[in-house]
Amino acid sequence: MSIKIRMRGKSKGGIAEVKALIKHPMESGVRMNKKTGKPYPAKYIDMVEVMVNGTKVVDAQWSGAVSANPYVAVKVKANSGDEVALSVTDNTGEKGSSSITLK
Amino acid sequence: MKRRAFLKNTVATGAAVVAANAGLLTPTTVLADWNKTAFSAKKTDDALNSLFGSANATESSDIKLKAPAIAENGAVTPVTVDATSLDGVESIAILASKNPQPLVCQYSFAAGALGYVSTRIKMGETMNVMTVVKAGGKLFKAQQEVKVTIGGCGG
Repeated sequence: MSIKIRMRGKSKGGIAEVKALIKHPMESGVRMNKKTGKPYPAKYIDMVEVMVNGTKVVDAQWSGAVSANPYVAVKVKANSGDEVALSVTDNTGEKGSSSITLK
Repeated sequence: MKRRAFLKNTVATGAAVVAANAGLLTPTTVLADWNKTAFSAKKTDDALNSLFGSANATESSDIKLKAPAIAENGAVTPVTVDATSLDGVESIAILASKNPQPLVCQYSFAAGALGYVSTRIKMGETMNVMTVVKAGGKLFKAQQEVKVTIGGCGG
């Protein structure tokens, strides 16, 4: 199952703010399961990439301290009609990606 | 003779480093780029050293760090870093000083992106949120205290 991402973006004067909501538990591996006394296994997104028309412009690394169901916004140089794509990978190797055409 | 020895040693150490790196890569961590040392560091300075090679960042008013003064729920603290007034922003890192592992996230930017990041982070208690921005080869920082009424790490 791939990670679900919802994206939005609008270009204004050559600069676009791209916002994304990612559906992911972001389990840091520290939180304890009170019933078993053991921590929940870590499962968090550690790599995030933003591409404009296929060229990588933002490359991010995350830890488990990013909130669950992460929200991320970046600003890129792009005009309306350009394609912006976001792809994520978590520490278990699960991937997800989404792309939009800017308004 | 000395030069010979030097070369020999460098080659040997180089090979050792490669071997050590290969050994660290367990099957789950296919992503070799992920900076494990920086993210597992327990102190902000250690994380910064591993990330940027230095922890000496100058305070800059050009960085706009937006975080709430009081976060009701530490598990979702909105943080925005706007460094667009700095030239040539290469990287932005966000750290929460008292988290078990302070480094929260690090963004690298290519020419097609602006130095701007907005996200939500987890904070266990009242602490400083710090951002370190690398621009034009120099390190700049900004920080702000966020009061947390309900912690976000642990149950």
